[in-house]
Amino acid sequence: METHRLSRRRFLQLAGAGTASVVLLAACQAPAAAPAGGGEAAAPSQTETTLTFGHHWEAAFRPRQEEFDKKYAETHPGVKFEYTYNTWAEHNQIVPTWAAAGTLPDIIYVHGRYAFPWNHEGIVVSTQDFIDSDPEFDVKGIWEEALRLYRYNGKQHGIPYDHGPIILGYNKDLFDAAGLEYPNEDWTWDDFLEAAKALTVGENQWGYGGYYNTILELGNETGISFVGPWGGEVYNEEETKLLIDSDAARAAMQWWADLIHVHKVAPLPAQAQAIPAGPWVAGMTGMFALASWGTPTLIEQASFAWDVAPWPKGPAGRKAGSFGSGFGITRDSKHPEAAWQYMREYLSKEGMEFMWGSSGRGSPARQAAYESWLNSPGAPANARYYMDALENYAVTGHPYHTLAGGEILDICNRNTQLVQSGDMTVDECIANIIAEGNPVLEDAAKRLQGG
Amino acid sequence: MSATTAPTRPRKGFSLRQREEIDFYLFIGLWLIGFILFTGGPILASLAFSFTNWTGLTTQEWVGLENYRQLLFDDKLFWIATRNTFFYSLGSVILGTLGALFVAILLNQKLPGTTLMRVLYYIPSIASGVAVSILWIWLFNPQVGLVNYLLSLVGIPGPPWLASQQWALPALIIKSTWAIGANMIILLAGLQAVPTSLYEAAKIDGAHPWDEFFNVTIPMISPVLFYVLVISTIASFQILTDVLVMTQGGPGTATLVYVYYIYQNAFQYLKMGYASALAWILFAIILALTLLQLWGSKKWVYYEDPGT
Repeated sequence: METHRLSRRRFLQLAGAGTASVVLLAACQAPAAAPAGGGEAAAPSQTETTLTFGHHWEAAFRPRQEEFDKKYAETHPGVKFEYTYNTWAEHNQIVPTWAAAGTLPDIIYVHGRYAFPWNHEGIVVSTQDFIDSDPEFDVKGIWEEALRLYRYNGKQHGIPYDHGPIILGYNKDLFDAAGLEYPNEDWTWDDFLEAAKALTVGENQWGYGGYYNTILELGNETGISFVGPWGGEVYNEEETKLLIDSDAARAAMQWWADLIHVHKVAPLPAQAQAIPAGPWVAGMTGMFALASWGTPTLIEQASFAWDVAPWPKGPAGRKAGSFGSGFGITRDSKHPEAAWQYMREYLSKEGMEFMWGSSGRGSPARQAAYESWLNSPGAPANARYYMDALENYAVTGHPYHTLAGGEILDICNRNTQLVQSGDMTVDECIANIIAEGNPVLEDAAKRLQGG
Repeated sequence: MSATTAPTRPRKGFSLRQREEIDFYLFIGLWLIGFILFTGGPILASLAFSFTNWTGLTTQEWVGLENYRQLLFDDKLFWIATRNTFFYSLGSVILGTLGALFVAILLNQKLPGTTLMRVLYYIPSIASGVAVSILWIWLFNPQVGLVNYLLSLVGIPGPPWLASQQWALPALIIKSTWAIGANMIILLAGLQAVPTSLYEAAKIDGAHPWDEFFNVTIPMISPVLFYVLVISTIASFQILTDVLVMTQGGPGTATLVYVYYIYQNAFQYLKMGYASALAWILFAIILALTLLQLWGSKKWVYYEDPGT
């Protein structure tokens, strides 16, 4: 019983200790307005400034990033760097969480699909004033297709770092074995189909492997690539309505589905998923849709000779989708001026050449920096066809200026998956997507207008 | 000086009961603060959010019951996710409980090596969820996976599992049996608490082993079995990791389960208000099911009379 006795003094001691613990715990939280290195007024090159980053680079590419920053620090004394490296998929969920907690880093990676909602929510701030007052930063040297992903209410917010289209990749070894000529600038989808048939051998080699194993998809870069050559569109320009119920889009979607189920020149989803690396990386498909950012994977993993050719022409001509990524300065940045100083060099011609050109990473967002990638050991022999596509026939793939981007793409994927597995017809797929998707787009448009 | 005498000195104003209450509140205080700040607070906040169109960041307007109306009357996916979750729960709870009971009975035998086997059966329960899910993607691989290999040994051509609209959800149910170890341990404890005198009496009465099982074992462990059923049902309604890693709700909507749909709305579509409404409906479903189980338990759960 003695152990349960509590003197007043002891009670006060314990209560005091408890209160002190709570205060201590509260003090452990970072004060919301504490400047990290000299405050807003500090000149970035004079006092110590720590720039914080939310990157998505995988481990192999981080040394390149840190090498750039080391060089930057040499010419900007006092600037230090702190990184958080997320995986790509996690990053897109982590950023809103950071924003809700008020702990966004100064500069974050922004994929094109997330730019619009993040701009709308104020996560990424406008850089238009910086651009307007900085004539040395050549914003016009960046592809317009890339810039428009990061524009909101007429103002540039994020700045793109890479941008690329989908074109046709092919396995030269399998073409040689089949005695076929490589795809060329004159190819139509009929030529593609004939070659795909010739390249399909037994049950483990297909003429076409799709885009990351997906044969029919209506994603940002894939949607217009798959229906555009037939004259179809996936969305109206305002992204308030789906247009896949047109005859042209319907014919296109049927054509891609037939590759699996009628011509049997492309794998079923179950067949593709059974190959961990994917049939195209494993060298089991003659052709595949290849975005510029997919080339490092092939260079690293493919054990076969490969190259790229223009996206073939369809009944309505040649058309492909393009997409990309960028960086933005966040609303929680303690050093927006220093962040801009960094961004203007990081995303300059020289910066892009170092980071994404000569490194072989691929498809820098500046036309002038593209050459450095084309000349790098990392680029396929005919990588110039990527630039050719951007200059002549690639368009930014919708959706990129609706608040329902993630939702509408999920709706499309859920249905196109079943067409590929043979569980749904193309007509049913189109009807489902329209029925489910149009209300979602209309609702997003209302939210955008504050309704 | 007074340090040694203070605790034994009589105190005016505090009775023993009061002193014990103060001890109690001091000890529970920090936990209570943590609960209110980090669990209770967000729970109540989510109820308020469910009546708004909050994105998780900025836009927040009161929309009344609109989220609930939309969910119940306009949202086809809500009903698909609910149906899939009920199906998964039914399959995983039945399979998991029967499996755990079966293994617990085996490991309750007085045979050499049972202690090691208990450890081996329990180990999967403490493995990382994501790592295990990735492992099962390999096991379900249609061409090189162990599951289809084992089926092929008995002449059964295995289905494409995770790539199949028909087999993806059953595959997740099968996968759920991976973690029966935790329930197995609880049931094993229940089995070991059954007095041997009851089995001896049953034997004297000439009872068949099946009679012993259904008339002695099951009634005696029914409170433990009931606990396992309730906890497993609640856990099964909250399945997320497997779906997130293995299927992302597909193919089509075949594995779109309730919590994954909440996750999509909250973090992928930035519809935090809508996701909050979803979460509260899930709470109501789980509460109703638990109350139903409690009501049903009166008919089959046997509690020993503590007075005898």
